[in-house]
Amino acid sequence: MSEDAVRVGVVGAGFIASLHVAAWSALGAQVHIFSANGASELAQRYGARTVTSLDVCVDQADIVDVCTPTSTHDEFVLAAAAAGRHVVCEKPLARDHRRAARLISACGAAGVQLFPAHVVRYFPEYEAAHRMVGDGTIGEVATMRLTRTTAMPTAPWFSDWELSGGLVIDQMIHDFDFARWVAGDVVQVFAKTRGDSAPITAHALLQHESGAITQVTGGWGLPHTAFQTTYKIRGTLGGLDHDSAICLPLRWDHADTASPPGGLLPDFDSVNSPYQRELSDFVQSIRGGAPPRVSAADSLAALDIALAAEASCRQGRPVDPREMHQ
Amino acid sequence: MRIGLMSFAHVHAAGYASLLQARPDVQLVVADPDAADAPADEAATRGAAQADRLGIQLVADYEELLDWQPHGVIVCAETSRHRVLVEQAAATGAHVLCEKPLAATTSDARAMIEACDAAGVNLMTAYPVRFHPAFRLLRREVRSGRLGRLRSVTGANNGRIPSDRRWFLDSALAGGGAVMDHTVHLADLIGELVDAAPVEVYAQANRILHEAADVETAANVFVTYEDGLIATIDSSWDEPATYPTWGGLTMAVHGSDGSATFDAFNQTISLHDASSGRLAWPGCGPDLDALMLDEFLGSIRENRPPQPSGSIGFRTLSVVEAAYTSLATGQPAAVPGRQAKTSEPSHVSADACVLEYCPTHGGRASRTKGV
Repeated sequence: MSEDAVRVGVVGAGFIASLHVAAWSALGAQVHIFSANGASELAQRYGARTVTSLDVCVDQADIVDVCTPTSTHDEFVLAAAAAGRHVVCEKPLARDHRRAARLISACGAAGVQLFPAHVVRYFPEYEAAHRMVGDGTIGEVATMRLTRTTAMPTAPWFSDWELSGGLVIDQMIHDFDFARWVAGDVVQVFAKTRGDSAPITAHALLQHESGAITQVTGGWGLPHTAFQTTYKIRGTLGGLDHDSAICLPLRWDHADTASPPGGLLPDFDSVNSPYQRELSDFVQSIRGGAPPRVSAADSLAALDIALAAEASCRQGRPVDPREMHQ
Repeated sequence: MRIGLMSFAHVHAAGYASLLQARPDVQLVVADPDAADAPADEAATRGAAQADRLGIQLVADYEELLDWQPHGVIVCAETSRHRVLVEQAAATGAHVLCEKPLAATTSDARAMIEACDAAGVNLMTAYPVRFHPAFRLLRREVRSGRLGRLRSVTGANNGRIPSDRRWFLDSALAGGGAVMDHTVHLADLIGELVDAAPVEVYAQANRILHEAADVETAANVFVTYEDGLIATIDSSWDEPATYPTWGGLTMAVHGSDGSATFDAFNQTISLHDASSGRLAWPGCGPDLDALMLDEFLGSIRENRPPQPSGSIGFRTLSVVEAAYTSLATGQPAAVPGRQAKTSEPSHVSADACVLEYCPTHGGRASRTKGV
């Protein structure tokens, strides 16, 4: 990052906020944190400041980074836009299409950029897969199988599907976005979900406009569950496979396995952090560089796939994501 | 024990022949009268040429084979030809092991089961994967409640397109493509873990890979069971000819108390050929065909029913039939009714005119259906 360090106002101090603060600090940004709970502890860990009002948070920032629960995004994004500040917002942008679209148009009208934090596009293995498909290395995509399993997040709002959207909207949206990034728009979604409390699993079948078919499996497991993500992509000229569980540069075999490390998200070294790379991508964009790898419109399209999956779960029939424009 | 091998059409026939030939307790004879129907480039692995290569006695036709009074036969003909051979064999009192899928249609499968019942002979369906020791262990643990209540299964049975037996790509002979070929193994394994019956199937498929085929070459099949269990089965022929192995089968099982993942064919070593640059994964796991043949031969010797039975073959084929209905309608389809009761599939559509994929005739037939 350049000498005139960017000033970032992070809203929220929960799990994902801590990853963003860590990334901003490593990038050399000046960070202040606004949150009802936990702001001082988080600030202390990374040498950041705290502020006690939203107005001050926005006023002192070049970029406002919204890391609060999904249903509270609107207030913070709109405040930042009204003040002419660029915005980073965690996914999903909102719990429904209308609210997400409103955030996008408010930022557009205010002339500020809205960056949806779809970090999976910045994981090296996912980046590489997208690049190789784009290069034509594996030809035309025919099938994709994507999985993602984590321990269920413990903050209570995740268990309230009205607030979080549950597994399908909060977690599987990563793979819905990746599927669309690689194989194009989705026209039909069929999904079911199992379990009211951990372990929760959901399966979704996606049919792309191109004819490609994608299978997505998501899991929110019991507390001992290790993070794992996989993909299998097949095209007319070859295929790509990845399994995070067999690519660990370091394995532990230790008596103290009561709390395995990295249960919620993968361990990764801070130099290579996908969170750093996504935020850095956004910064270079607002400094006049190329548009970031993922746009707000992309995020809305991924949300529509997730909403279609949710509707399919409820209705027991396949749903076209384009029906979500209500 | 006298065992007759009916046809070299199936890709597994030669493997069965080699295993049986090596057993001192088995006399093996083969008949492959339809060899002449096969494409010219398959001739070297059919008929007299194949029998010579394997060192097995060949007879001219199925009548001569059955006149020899084998104790059991293994039916390895093309899927749509299973029924006539099983009925012939049953009529002569031979026990039957029949390749999967049991038949191209559930009505054929039902007839085969009834013929064997009437003749008092065994009918076994060739599902070798359930004989894997690791699967037996998984089954025991799941049945004992170790994973709690099963909630979902993610299964994949992928492979290279079976281009060395082109009848697999001919819907008149095979009954369908990837769905017909690769859904049933996983449907059988799931049926071993839970007693709940499959009730609804939704499928998506395409023909982007191997466009020259006139059947689907990739598919995802979503099965819902009567107790709410959901399973997705990837049955695609999506490994290219140059893939280091023929394919594989994996199954992840998620229960209320934990998860397990079974991989039937990952006990391999990695071989790199430096001159060609080719990578291969030779398998070093248990011989599932040998274990399955043990069960077939044991059931004859011990005069008891074998598992998996013809009924299991019927039930797993019902899932396939519902998958094809779903592909035709774009909607979830009910699994056709149980064996003895209905003669009509029970899928219901709100539309007056139902487009149905007709497996034996390879095309779509439209049929007006009252609501």
